[in-house]
Amino acid sequence: MAKTQPFSAQVRQTGKAVTIDLHGEVDSFASDRLHEAYAEVEQFNPPVILLDFSDVSYINSTGIALIVGLLAQARKLQRKVYVYGLSDHFITIFQITRLAEFMSIYPNEDSALADAAAFG
Amino acid sequence: MSNMEQPGENSHSGMWAQPVDTLSAGDMPEGLTAINIQGRRAIGALQGFGQLWKKTYKVRLSGVNRSSAEVMQIWKENFALFQPPGNRFYLPSGGVTPGKIMWIDSPLPVAPPFYDKPGLVPMTSGVMILYADDESFSVMTPEGFPVSGWNNFSVYEEDGSRVAQVQSFERASDPIYEFGFRFMGGAARQEFIWVHVLTQLSNHFGVNGQVTMTRECLDPSIQWAYAGRVWQNAGMRTTLYKVATPLRWFMNFFRGK
Repeated sequence: MAKTQPFSAQVRQTGKAVTIDLHGEVDSFASDRLHEAYAEVEQFNPPVILLDFSDVSYINSTGIALIVGLLAQARKLQRKVYVYGLSDHFITIFQITRLAEFMSIYPNEDSALADAAAFG
Repeated sequence: MSNMEQPGENSHSGMWAQPVDTLSAGDMPEGLTAINIQGRRAIGALQGFGQLWKKTYKVRLSGVNRSSAEVMQIWKENFALFQPPGNRFYLPSGGVTPGKIMWIDSPLPVAPPFYDKPGLVPMTSGVMILYADDESFSVMTPEGFPVSGWNNFSVYEEDGSRVAQVQSFERASDPIYEFGFRFMGGAARQEFIWVHVLTQLSNHFGVNGQVTMTRECLDPSIQWAYAGRVWQNAGMRTTLYKVATPLRWFMNFFRGK
């Protein structure tokens, strides 16, 4: 049986954007930490929020709902949300759930930051 | 096949539905109509019209000596039976399987005081099973459904007992539904349904569980860009379909069908 990886998240400012580095499993247990991380992001008042999925091992539908909640909060304040580091499987999930229509997906941090620098 | 797995690949892949452009009626139960499923796209909570709400319903199954997976298995098998009168759900053949349609025949309410009674406006549609694992599953709505979004159903352990939870992330799909949710008892009916389902689940295990509900408005704004969805309104289309039934019989009779 696969070993579970508890969720953690770190927030860091990267130019105009603020990045949330996501680690482990994004499911219901990620809720509190993800909300805390978003509150930290708000302190920077960034025009763009980057979500780094490079170290995410698993996401279920509750996790997707958490991302939707974060996206809704960001959109209320006219913030863009960019995503990078998605595996092919995660890209498929973002397509099924149609999140991909609302979040720009990038292959890596550099390409996301380049677009973030051009925004606003 | 490579031994190297990308993050999130592996055994979790089969838990999600496969991407499809539009939904297919597939094994539709007899007596229903596919007009609100066939060719419709599945849509999420960001593609609807009204305010975006997150609602969480929970019941603690104190004393139930079953694993979360066992409770969820029983919940899945009895999902249709736990619905309130008038709210007919049809599980797909093979049960709760990602990508399949769970059909719904549920009249919509038109009078706020009677939200706990079956509604009067016919509505036949369904939801796509988006995700399923041993302890949870989620459904996603098609265009024209009263709400746009997801419902997650899960069982987990908290403080030594099992907790069954329904969590919805959804908004009204179009202006008519938004009006119905706010002023015609739609929201109350929706909340009544999930409280009823969790109460039935707890009763099934011999527990007199008290269902708690919290609601949070994630986005109070109206998305006018989706107002045009009114033309896909499953309640209106089902009503028109039923009204036109005698005409179809008549025409089929003369066509010799």
